[in-house]
Amino acid sequence: MRRTITILVLPALLFIFIFFVLPLLFLLAQSFQDPETGQLTLAGYAEFFQKETSQIIYVRTLRLGLTITLINIVLAYPASYVLARLPAKRRTLAMSLVILPLMTNPVARTYAWLIILGRTGLINNVLLSTGLIESPERLIYTEGAIILGLTQLLLPLMILSLVSAMENIPKDVEEAARSLGANGITTFLRVIVPLSADGLVLGATLVFTGSITAYVTPVILGGNRMLMLSTLLRQRAMMAFDEQGATVVAVVMIVTALAVNLLVRMLRPKPTAQR
Amino acid sequence: MKISRWYTLSLGIVYFFLLGPFLIIFAASFGAESTLSFPPRGFSLDWFANVFANEQFIRSFWTSLQLGLIATILSLIFGVPVAYALTHFDFPGAGFVETLFSLPILVPGLVIGLSMLNFFVLFGKFDVLTGLMIGHTAILFPYSVRVVSVALRNLDPAVEEAAVNLGANRLRTFLLIVLPNIRAGIAAAFILGFITSFNNVPVSVFLSGPGVNTLPIAMLSYMEYYFDPTIAALSTILIIFSIVLVQAAERLLGLSQFV
Repeated sequence: MRRTITILVLPALLFIFIFFVLPLLFLLAQSFQDPETGQLTLAGYAEFFQKETSQIIYVRTLRLGLTITLINIVLAYPASYVLARLPAKRRTLAMSLVILPLMTNPVARTYAWLIILGRTGLINNVLLSTGLIESPERLIYTEGAIILGLTQLLLPLMILSLVSAMENIPKDVEEAARSLGANGITTFLRVIVPLSADGLVLGATLVFTGSITAYVTPVILGGNRMLMLSTLLRQRAMMAFDEQGATVVAVVMIVTALAVNLLVRMLRPKPTAQR
Repeated sequence: MKISRWYTLSLGIVYFFLLGPFLIIFAASFGAESTLSFPPRGFSLDWFANVFANEQFIRSFWTSLQLGLIATILSLIFGVPVAYALTHFDFPGAGFVETLFSLPILVPGLVIGLSMLNFFVLFGKFDVLTGLMIGHTAILFPYSVRVVSVALRNLDPAVEEAAVNLGANRLRTFLLIVLPNIRAGIAAAFILGFITSFNNVPVSVFLSGPGVNTLPIAMLSYMEYYFDPTIAALSTILIIFSIVLVQAAERLLGLSQFV
């Protein structure tokens, strides 16, 4: 049996080790290495955390991640409740529409926001024609543009997590709450929300890590004027040819994402055995 | 207002937000003006013609198609045996293996792309397409292992036991009994993997090279130079393609339970 398991698992294990794990370890080593002398150094990290520009970008990335997560929770919670209560057939159709942005070419999906927010785009044209503004406002390359684009991208993940948690809540529980005198809002806040907390935590983690690591949306809607960690990494690697700088940003990004995941896993109460 | 109204309203807002931008792209791709503006003026199909006349788009489309198919098939060839081992045997290190194969989802794509580029530059002199294939295969592992594992767990063990009792060995049982029974799961893994590869930017952006671009990368570089509705027209085509694929997959396989 041991031989069977080895034959089944070993080829994939070798592949993932050579082409995925090793390059990552190598990148980690590179971030601690002086590009000229090859000696061990913390200079790359010192520069990242001391320079004002990278500090601003790091804080902005975390702040936008948090903002987007909160917006997603507010938008997704009631909508997920409706979706979870739909009859199976209609839910299938409704969910397939929800996951559409996840399945669409990211450039296509983000391009829509350029049409909406551009100089000659929808919002500027509407504001100009109503006389509210006299010349077009710059709406792209702003934090707001990034927030809009990433919310559209990540909302499906939040909804999927919440819906699958809410599906498991028996209808009787709500009816019990109602018959004991709770109104709709109280039932939602004190019964539905606590019982779907697992989905909320999972969804929030996915949305937050998705926001701080997303690439296409910040490239198109933030550009070089409104940098996030991901676009800073691109700039260092491809425009400044600062290879060590790029690996430092990469390590900061990955450590932040993993730290959030770990923190959430530690804080989350152990799932109870019976469901 | 009654709370049930609020619920419906919130669902409306969510759909408006998720799908509204797509409708705007559709409308913009038929505009007659050569700078993108909204609402569009006039009507024209020129931008669609432009898409098909652009050699970069056509060539990168074929690259993306080829890459998506090969990477997905490779990730299944490597991944299905792992899923089988994880669901059929209790072996030391199983938890570690499971975590290892879910890592490519947890690690940001951009970091994966950068690390592979640096690694290939020093250790493997692959041509661009091979490099892309390796990169894409690695990022698809989590989908093939997880989705096929779900399908295998849902399969009634009695079916396999019956085959074994009737004298079939493990391999024969797998090929003749298990595989046909999990074909929906394999198909779901295939579609999910293909879409993931076809839409990938962060890994491809580092591994693309002179003359070899994937479609999304070609679109991004077109956008750096032109601001006409050609990208809107191409986006319309791609969005319709996604709608058809997702609808079919959801109806046949229940795709959203695997995402």
